[in-house]
Amino acid sequence: MVGTDPDNESAPPLLSVRGVSKSFPGVRALHDVTLTVRAGEVHALTGENGSGKSTLSKVIGGVHKPDAGHLEIDGVRRSLTGPADALRHGIVMISQELTLAPTLSVAENIYLGRAPRTRWGAVDWAAMRRAARTVLDDLSVHVDETDRVGDLSVELQQEIEIARAVSSDARLLILDEATSSLSEAAAARLLELIAEQSARGIAVLMISHRMPELYACATTATVLRDGSLVATVPLPETPEPELVRLMVGRELGDYYGEREVELGEVVLEARELATDDGALRPTSLTVRRGEIVGVAGLVGSGKAELGLALAGAVAAQGSVQVNGERVGLSSPRKALASGIAFVPDDRKRSALLPVRSVAENFAVSWLGGLSRFGLLRVRDERRQVDRAIRTYGVVTSSAANRISHLSGGNQQKVVLGRVFDLGCDVYVLSEPTRGVDVGAKSDIYRLLHGIVEKGAAVILISSELPELLGMCDRIVVFFEGEIRGEFAGEEMEETRIAEVAVSGGPSLPAAPGTA
Amino acid sequence: MSNSVTREVPAPPGATPASAGGGAAPRRRRLSLGGSAGIVAGLVILCGYLAITQPIFLTWGNITNIVLSNSVILLLAIGATFVIIAGGIDLSAASAGTACAMVLGLGLSSGLGAVTALLLTLLAGLLIGVVNGALISYLRISFLVVTLGTLSILESIALVSNQGTTISVFELEAFQGVYHFTLDRIGGVPILMIFDVVVVAAAVLILRYTPFGRSVFAIGSNPEAARLNGINVALTMLGVYVIAGLAAALAGIVQVGRLTAASPAVDSTLLLTVIAAVLIGGTAYTGGEGGVGGTVLGVLFLGVIQNGLTLSEVSTFWRGTVNGLVLIVAVALGVARHSGLFRRRKGKVS
Repeated sequence: MVGTDPDNESAPPLLSVRGVSKSFPGVRALHDVTLTVRAGEVHALTGENGSGKSTLSKVIGGVHKPDAGHLEIDGVRRSLTGPADALRHGIVMISQELTLAPTLSVAENIYLGRAPRTRWGAVDWAAMRRAARTVLDDLSVHVDETDRVGDLSVELQQEIEIARAVSSDARLLILDEATSSLSEAAAARLLELIAEQSARGIAVLMISHRMPELYACATTATVLRDGSLVATVPLPETPEPELVRLMVGRELGDYYGEREVELGEVVLEARELATDDGALRPTSLTVRRGEIVGVAGLVGSGKAELGLALAGAVAAQGSVQVNGERVGLSSPRKALASGIAFVPDDRKRSALLPVRSVAENFAVSWLGGLSRFGLLRVRDERRQVDRAIRTYGVVTSSAANRISHLSGGNQQKVVLGRVFDLGCDVYVLSEPTRGVDVGAKSDIYRLLHGIVEKGAAVILISSELPELLGMCDRIVVFFEGEIRGEFAGEEMEETRIAEVAVSGGPSLPAAPGTA
Repeated sequence: MSNSVTREVPAPPGATPASAGGGAAPRRRRLSLGGSAGIVAGLVILCGYLAITQPIFLTWGNITNIVLSNSVILLLAIGATFVIIAGGIDLSAASAGTACAMVLGLGLSSGLGAVTALLLTLLAGLLIGVVNGALISYLRISFLVVTLGTLSILESIALVSNQGTTISVFELEAFQGVYHFTLDRIGGVPILMIFDVVVVAAAVLILRYTPFGRSVFAIGSNPEAARLNGINVALTMLGVYVIAGLAAALAGIVQVGRLTAASPAVDSTLLLTVIAAVLIGGTAYTGGEGGVGGTVLGVLFLGVIQNGLTLSEVSTFWRGTVNGLVLIVAVALGVARHSGLFRRRKGKVS
């Protein structure tokens, strides 16, 4: 299938999108978009949330039919009848939502719906396992083909999706935010896989909010804004500020912003905090008012568990004090009552009430404060919701809209805003900008500055180093369940932090944090 | 710190400064029946048809008859609405109602006063709710397993309690209060109908205007998000099953009053009718969505159909077929509405 010679410029491109428009009732999602993808090319599709990237990728993937315009595959005009038809043409979509069957084995997932048969028509299990092993070895994915997929990490599951795509003779991989739920290291590994595939002549259409990723892999970027094509530019030749300007249509200025904060007294003191499952080993950390402390580390390093333990969301031992008062660690309710608010990393799974309105998603954090004599003060609630929508810059036509109809950035502003309105002393934020576009990211950073200027403290747990470097006064780095490095001011360098995160550090700097 | 919700937060990025009080965007008031437009239309058409073809249909006597004969279903369905919104289901509802009826019957026939017997019945409902709720929320056993178990246990206890025979309470002095409660009218309006309205109003109040009710929706929508936002998930779930248990006790009392006897046999179609009414009313079996208003419509819809079949002298054997068809069609239409087949899609583009 990978017959097209990637160097042969005269051959018709693998995929041409010609003047495609697509409208949904009330919304023009795409307007006259033209795009060309050649074999072996990694093509970035960029733009803010709502710019039409996903709609375009769904048109290419056969999910949506264009209202106007058409697709050409190998120079032949095609009208895709559905995702299965796209698959027959070698177009495979991989999104952040995994489409694996969690209770089946790795091999069964790779060959889902196309299991090899014996001559009697039964599934040829031995052949399936052998074939899966070969594919996994080719991609050097270190997983047993008989493992149950649901027991594997998100990273490995994502790699298995890639393995499935590769083994199905894919010619065009569409990656829609495929790395957004991965740590930096796992994302890097995924990008390596992508690079290998493109070297073999497979084309990749990549949607990502992570700029460094696009610059690392892509050779071309197509920018969409409000459903229209803005430009197609070469990468990495086009500088990042220029690309961002094309995406948002304005200068973003300093992305991370500045703040004027005097560090105050110690507000949070954690001593020998450890989770019962051992993922977080006894860790001590002190945070002062007005401070943003970054928490770096790979997935499984214990950085996520630090957040969960402080929030009372996992079983943990040790002591945590806020303003000198001991915090109950047994439930999020107790942590909140002591002034620790927590925003989890997985918005969809742990933060949103998907079928409820914007208003109810705000108010779910405020129920205690909004009630009197057991009744909800509905008018106060409405007032506070309206004010929060404006204060946190949530774009929605009505507070009664379902939260699931909002873009990721706007959902995240609701999730952050509802806890910021509580006036807590400590905010533990896990991956607060995951899956959020550049414009909304920069809004969120400004909200963070604002909240510490008011005297709160923020513990910012993030897999994105640039974000930590841009926002934090101090960064602690987790490795194997404990803090192995602590950097402040001039010492905060990407390479030094990454070194500790990956290997535990060159040598331990005078026992930072841990006892 | 306190859970104060009034503290202002720093100036927003790119948002206009919040001016206190004024300037709220015009807001569409959400009706409690908002998701039930289809069922309202269906009910209106059905009533219109029956009003034309069956002259007796629109008489006050027939209308009150529909309400009264569906009171047991309504009371159970209100309890079931809480449970289903919270993401669970209570399979023991009908058995609990029967068990509570037996408690009342035994209480009255053993010479207890009316008030004591009624309190005992409510206590039995409360106890059933606590057992269901504690097993589900504190021991974390699946609600299907727990309520399937209590369904069977309560059904059997109801039979054991009086060796499987019906307790006639008609002659008893203490029963007269209950009897008049289910039979009498004030100015032509049955007391039981007024009672139904009061219970519905209380349920709406609890579900929509208390932190507890909001927590029920939050838990049904995403239990983990509810927990992380400081909601006491286990206690709320316990409360939900207690409400279901108390609803079963009320249903049992009404049942005894209307039959003038406590029958130990559980009506095999009752549970399914109750759940069907809740789902027809627009409450999602996946949890997090719905309301008591919709449930009232669902009960009325099934009740009116039943009434129409009786008036048209169609065999009652057809009742189950009609109920089943209505359930499937109503829920299918609800699903279609959510997936946007009948509605303009919201502007979700990205």
